[in-house]
Amino acid sequence: MWTGEGEAKILYVMTHGVNDPGRCATPFFLAASAAAMESEVMIYFTMYGPQLLQKDVIDKIGPKGDQGQKLRYFIEQATALDVKLLVCQPSLDLNDLAIEDLLDDVGMIGGAAFNDLAAEADAVISF
Amino acid sequence: MTTVPDQVLDCTGLQCPLPVIKTSQAVKTLAVGQVLELLATDPGVEPDMNAWTRRTGNELVGISKDGDVFHVLIRRAK
Repeated sequence: MWTGEGEAKILYVMTHGVNDPGRCATPFFLAASAAAMESEVMIYFTMYGPQLLQKDVIDKIGPKGDQGQKLRYFIEQATALDVKLLVCQPSLDLNDLAIEDLLDDVGMIGGAAFNDLAAEADAVISF
Repeated sequence: MTTVPDQVLDCTGLQCPLPVIKTSQAVKTLAVGQVLELLATDPGVEPDMNAWTRRTGNELVGISKDGDVFHVLIRRAK
């Protein structure tokens, strides 16, 4: 799934959801920074991570709760730089979500594809 | 000799990662050989711009500090 066209390939893994808002934005802005350095970047959301991609959540929470920028700002900053967002079906089931509940353009992969991305990446960074 | 920038990007007051993102976008608007001057107050801008230029292959002409403001000169190299 990597095109190999970037300067490096970086895979972020996000496992935290809406119950810990202080952790919600960092993967997006690090990913945006990496993309601005001409790296190819993906973020894989697993465990509680897919909760952060819900259409009806991204305008409600941000890293400082009710104050400051909301999650939409950080997500769009990353996706505008071509950061790819990925989930897997078991973690959607864990959170009682369907792919339709999530933002458009979120991609679905499975465990084999995830491990292949990780093996091919120059760095895997997990939160 | 002083390098005269072809474009000035004011990122004063902006925090990481905005100076990096905006620099990346601004440098793409330059012709190869032209120089961008980035103004930033983010205290991480010096290591960030060292890393960014090394990774992207652009040239870091120089960094100076005037009060709280970093002046970063970057030449588009490719």
